[in-house]
Amino acid sequence: MKRFRLAIAALAVVSLGLTACGGGGDDSSSSATEVKLYNDKGAWKTYFEGVGKLSKEQIGLGVTPVGYTDEPTYEAFIKASFRTNNKPDLFTWSTGGRLKEIVDSGQVADTSSLWSDAIASGDVSKELEPYYTIDGKQYCVPANVSYWVMFYNKKVFSDAGVQPPTSWADLMATADKLKAKGVTPFYQTSVLFSFVWFQQLLIGSDPQLYNDLATGKAKFTDPKVVAVMQQWKDLEDKGYFSDPGSKDQPEVMLKSGKVAMGLFGTWFNTNMTTQGMKPDSDYGTFVVPNVTPSLPNTTVAFESGPLCSLTKAPNPDASNKFMKWWMGADAQDQWANSRGDVSANPKVQIKDPSLNQLNKDAGEGKYTLANRYFEAVPPAVLTASLDGFGAFMVDPGSYQKQLENIEKASADYWKSN
Amino acid sequence: MTATASTPAKGRKRSLGTGWSALGFISPAVLVVAALLYAPFLYTVFYSFTDYDGLTSPKWVALDNFKKFLDDPALTTSIRNTLFWVVGTTIVPVAIGLLIALLSFGIKGGTLLRLPFMLPYALSGAGLGVIWGFILQSDGAANDLLRFLHLPGADISFLQQAPYNTIAMIVAMTWQQSGVNALLFLVGLQSIPTPPLEAARIDGASGWRMFRHITWPLLAPLTTVVVGLSLVASLKTFDIVWVTTQGGPGRSSETLAVTMYRDAFVSSDYGYGSAVALVLTLVTGAVTIAYLRFQIRGQEKLR
Repeated sequence: MKRFRLAIAALAVVSLGLTACGGGGDDSSSSATEVKLYNDKGAWKTYFEGVGKLSKEQIGLGVTPVGYTDEPTYEAFIKASFRTNNKPDLFTWSTGGRLKEIVDSGQVADTSSLWSDAIASGDVSKELEPYYTIDGKQYCVPANVSYWVMFYNKKVFSDAGVQPPTSWADLMATADKLKAKGVTPFYQTSVLFSFVWFQQLLIGSDPQLYNDLATGKAKFTDPKVVAVMQQWKDLEDKGYFSDPGSKDQPEVMLKSGKVAMGLFGTWFNTNMTTQGMKPDSDYGTFVVPNVTPSLPNTTVAFESGPLCSLTKAPNPDASNKFMKWWMGADAQDQWANSRGDVSANPKVQIKDPSLNQLNKDAGEGKYTLANRYFEAVPPAVLTASLDGFGAFMVDPGSYQKQLENIEKASADYWKSN
Repeated sequence: MTATASTPAKGRKRSLGTGWSALGFISPAVLVVAALLYAPFLYTVFYSFTDYDGLTSPKWVALDNFKKFLDDPALTTSIRNTLFWVVGTTIVPVAIGLLIALLSFGIKGGTLLRLPFMLPYALSGAGLGVIWGFILQSDGAANDLLRFLHLPGADISFLQQAPYNTIAMIVAMTWQQSGVNALLFLVGLQSIPTPPLEAARIDGASGWRMFRHITWPLLAPLTTVVVGLSLVASLKTFDIVWVTTQGGPGRSSETLAVTMYRDAFVSSDYGYGSAVALVLTLVTGAVTIAYLRFQIRGQEKLR
């Protein structure tokens, strides 16, 4: 009897241990037919599935998109996966400091050979390489590329008798006319994309200073940065911006004509088209003219987001095979044109005429490209900036204090890095 | 309890084996508790003394995280807001709850009168945040209502401007919490024995005097519980803030719990986030113990 009880007790302990160790043990062999693609672009599910259908046909690998919409949750999940056995096959991320951070942890798969092959075959432009290069090696492949342009409601423009501007003064005059008509000229938000107008005003007046800020060579309290904030405050004071805390979606505000213009990456086309707006007839885009007219080229903010895999991915061969295919023209044609955005692959013909023109102009060096603020600054500086600019929008008079807070984070970061 | 447990069954000697098998039987439970409750807590304590980004191994930095507290402007705002929450949600919803309970107790149709106050409690904290987020957004329903009634505040962006954003969320919380506090007080009122009440009534007490000298002291044990629960809940305020403003704009509506979450999971500064968590735990513990001591001593005096 005693022995029996002891045995049961021991069994209880052992079974507890077993359940703790169970699960996660399914080792997928090399004959994988699906890759799980984790992404923070939950709204793009159908586009991922569209690519997945094609990849299934061409290389026998389907795609299961696992979409997130909340950025912090997504980031925390991906980082946590590095330390567990539940790792994604592929995942989207951002370039810049955040990519460096995860590459430094030694977990991201090296894609140098994919890059050299793709550059040789003309499937990706050499100019894109630096964004994916850390300590001489390439990591991840481009998931998307976008230029930051102004989206505008064509009907609102024609009702107010205005045309897309060709100079900064022109843009201001346009804003004035719209305001007089009772239309809010520009969209802004204090959530996540609070950096957009700071970025635009700065790259349009002093692109070098913008780069120096990003690399810690200049201070956020520099008089020239302060001047940019004052200019931004001036626009806020004139009532040119929408309410920064509005919970309405920008595409809804643009469609209703409550707001005339919004600054976004070209990826915003999907937001507009899902609202039932047609490019070129209902809405258009223009490149924002420089604030300082004497600059040689118009500066356009540019972003590229990566598609990455891990060294210890569940099936590295499958991930690699997919990434190789992904960079090719067939995949990119499907991916870019279904979303109405430009592609990292120069061979892809962009169907939207104005977008195609923009892509060609940029490719021919007509614009100075500035890395988007989100990727350009280190993560700690970005966090402080997003907070600071968000607070500024609510209380524009506080710009000096906000710049000081951002500078504090920047100084802290560059002191130890 | 001990008496029954130490009396072994007839004729069976306590042996080493019984001890071991007892240990075996309780060990699953002990292991579960240790793995799920103690270990994470101890881990957090450990992390609070390290610099840890969630990717590379934690680096021991001793008290650096706690020193960082002292010149973190976000933390000052966060502490101020948490105090707002403590004061706001331990006084207002408790007072309103008491009032609802007193006014509706012992009258015909009291249950029906109380029902609308209870309904908001069916909402989760996140649901509360979503609904009030829409009401309070700039040019939202709250502004429209104030404008319609010609009251001041029609042009305030309730969720944007500090400290209105914190105050507005406290109002939302009050809307939800008052009903359940009323319910708790009602239980208290029902449990008050009738003899002292009758005696007081015969002596001519009624209205305020009755409440002040008879009902209120007799309700004291329950008030301790209600206030104590509100106190702890207010110190850890998170869900409604996170859903409504995410602590923004510009960290202006953060509470300590939100700061902890942001530092740990948004900024991936797990060391600093753990330090905030540890301080929050210590503060909550200290406040609760101090409060309970004070209350219990007060009640013992009463006896």
